[in-house]
Amino acid sequence: MNDDERGRMMTVGRIVQAEDVIWRRIGDEIVVIKDDGLATHVLNKTAAFIWEMCDGKCGIDEITSRLCERFDVSFDEASTDVREIIEKLIELGIMNQIEETAGG
Amino acid sequence: MVPSKESVQSAAYSDCTVSLQIGSVCCALKCKDASEYDLAKRLYRDFLTEQPADLTLELEMTSRLKPDDVSEALPETIFTHENGNRFRTSSQIISGRYDLANRIISITAEKSLGDPDMEFNYINRLISLAYYSACKVKYDGNPPAMLVHACGIIRHGKAIAFAGPSDTGKSTIARLCGDQHGEVLNDEMVLISRPDQSGNGISAQSAPIISDISPRCNKAAPLHCILLLKRGDRTVVHNIDKAEAYLRFMRQIITPVYIGQKSGRAVYTLMADFSSEVIDAIPIYELEFNLDGEALWQVVAELE
Repeated sequence: MNDDERGRMMTVGRIVQAEDVIWRRIGDEIVVIKDDGLATHVLNKTAAFIWEMCDGKCGIDEITSRLCERFDVSFDEASTDVREIIEKLIELGIMNQIEETAGG
Repeated sequence: MVPSKESVQSAAYSDCTVSLQIGSVCCALKCKDASEYDLAKRLYRDFLTEQPADLTLELEMTSRLKPDDVSEALPETIFTHENGNRFRTSSQIISGRYDLANRIISITAEKSLGDPDMEFNYINRLISLAYYSACKVKYDGNPPAMLVHACGIIRHGKAIAFAGPSDTGKSTIARLCGDQHGEVLNDEMVLISRPDQSGNGISAQSAPIISDISPRCNKAAPLHCILLLKRGDRTVVHNIDKAEAYLRFMRQIITPVYIGQKSGRAVYTLMADFSSEVIDAIPIYELEFNLDGEALWQVVAELE
């Protein structure tokens, strides 16, 4: 997948937390535990906000809009953060993208 | 009066059964002979109870291996579950079968595991399995308290749990406690309760966990704070981030698996919930500790 395709997918795809994790909000942060107990991740305030939005119903754009409202940042600025964070969470294996095409 | 045959048999059976109080559950330890019974009574003298058993452990001690062979095998020994209702350790020093529907676990173990100069980890492991198995049958797998890898000390009527992995100073703290700084609950593991439904706070309680140092008293006290141990060049208390405290505390919980259960989502969910409840209710700090007793009691006093 090239960068354009990836950007398009990330724009339209819905994002969902992986099924094999347990997570708890601890203050401003979220602790994510893989259910084999071997890996744990602590998400900061921004990542925690995004995490809670990733219920499988929202796409990147909606998450970005909500982040703008919550943290009073521009859409472009928020968009970069959201993409980077979601990419990282997917890379860690704790979040999945539900694959959809633009028309799908 | 000459006792009837039935009452004699009943007395003999009763004489070889020791009932242990582990937190709010009771495990009957049914021994095959008087020497095993004496050993169990000696090891767990402060935890004996008359309460009806939630679970029965049928214990058979064997001497298939020499003590040196057992000692040599211990570091490599791991518990494994076999198909069906059987379990054993890789080195065959412990094996058994279970029938939780009838609340019975049968265990065959090498006799030398109870020797004072032997590592007690495997007997302690059996006790933790028995505890969580009894919680499975009594509380449907939702333990009202969990075993935590910590040295518990009661001072001025309140407990402090010094939690941490091996070699962070738990036994040293128990040794430094002596008689003047508090009363040691245990230097290896303590039971930490969840807040009950009526909102009563969290308490720390001793458990029949064997170590070289602990006096094996059976006491409980409201938990004042938890200190996560870290070896360092000085002895000082640090505030730590709540998420870090949560994770570090959770790693010290003795995994709440009952006999026959595989560790997995249900187990980690219990641990995650328990850690959340504890960190919401109890202050948790990091104790950087250089094994110096004077500095230790000074920083502890400042927290009280």
